[in-house]
Amino acid sequence: MTTAAVLVGYAVVVGALVPSLLSRAAWAHRAPVLAVFAWQGLMVTFVFTATLAVYHLLLADHHVHGGLVGLLSACGLAVGAPWAGPVPSLPQALALATPAAIVLLPLGWLVACSWRARRARQRHLDLLTLVGDPTPEYGATVVDHTTPAVYCLPGRHCRVVITRGALDALSEEQLWAVLAHERAHIDGRHHLLHLLADAFSRAFPGLPLARHAKEQTALLVEMIADDRALRLHPRETLATAMCEVAAGRVPPVALGAGGAGALVRLRRVLTPQPRPHRATSLGVVAATVVAPLLPLVVACGP
Amino acid sequence: MRQLGELEAEIMHRLWAWGRPATARDVLTDINKQRPLAYSTVKTVADILHHKGMLERHKEGRAWVYEPTCTRQQYTAALMQQALGSNPDPAGTLVSFVERMTPDEADALRSALRAVKRRSEA
Repeated sequence: MTTAAVLVGYAVVVGALVPSLLSRAAWAHRAPVLAVFAWQGLMVTFVFTATLAVYHLLLADHHVHGGLVGLLSACGLAVGAPWAGPVPSLPQALALATPAAIVLLPLGWLVACSWRARRARQRHLDLLTLVGDPTPEYGATVVDHTTPAVYCLPGRHCRVVITRGALDALSEEQLWAVLAHERAHIDGRHHLLHLLADAFSRAFPGLPLARHAKEQTALLVEMIADDRALRLHPRETLATAMCEVAAGRVPPVALGAGGAGALVRLRRVLTPQPRPHRATSLGVVAATVVAPLLPLVVACGP
Repeated sequence: MRQLGELEAEIMHRLWAWGRPATARDVLTDINKQRPLAYSTVKTVADILHHKGMLERHKEGRAWVYEPTCTRQQYTAALMQQALGSNPDPAGTLVSFVERMTPDEADALRSALRAVKRRSEA
């Protein structure tokens, strides 16, 4: 029962405590790639820990090895498992099914979310084929619309979309900076990071980790794309482009906050900040790699 | 959902540009100025567009005459609604350069930029 208690405690730390610290960590915005990695690690750790914790709570007297092999044999994956009876009893079946559900829930949502996103992208691509003008000069599709907007449609048939309004609002060099930002999203396959965070937050609604991971991932991938654009374009050019596009996008009626991230990004783009110390980076990587393994050590330890 | 074909888009573009109902033969004649294409291909695709609800058709004499059900602007509006609407598509569908913001937030953005510009000029 102590093992179960330790695992539950660890799940609470990973699911509630660490996320609120990480979302306020000063180094995260200075090393967004590292921070995204840390968020992914936290989500994996939480799934591992919650699975083992529930398993131990339900079947406190069985050691986890037998249980995991039992789980595999129940799925027909392992032969010669030590699970004695051909048909597991109800509590045994329950003890296997509940932890399995914790693993399968986010995976199921991942499948559902990617399927929905694919369909939505396809619908959007159809409309884009219909009304967009492919402009090879910019490697983008231009849409005849007055609202300035720039976005990318990720995936296999990826497109960078830019409205006529944005073309009018942006200077040539601002436009190239924005296009570099969007290209970075496509090349970095950032939509997959969005998808993972989204699936996780749907699987565990209400969990602080889920909320923070989704919000922070969205902001951090924008920062990663900003950084890529800044490799080739001056800081002020990208920042002014953000202002120009944002100014035209203001809805006539305020629809609640949502642009706070843009202000954080703008300040970050304009004021260069040093990357975190090497030791900090190594520490974060080490912690992210070790964190998912700890619950296994606790569960299988002596 | 099947991907909207290039030829489907080409037919729609022509009908919008002409702003009048036209037969598959009219469209074919125009396309044939650029490249050879069979009449049956254009006719089939026009019928597909009709079944999708994107074209209306009626008989004039012995030929079917086709006409777009919606204007190009209406499709553009639908596209922009998907891209900028307050109810965005599922995560990972579109990634926008800057999200929608309130007037206050946009002002804050501008003044932050002005402050930095002043500092760099000083």
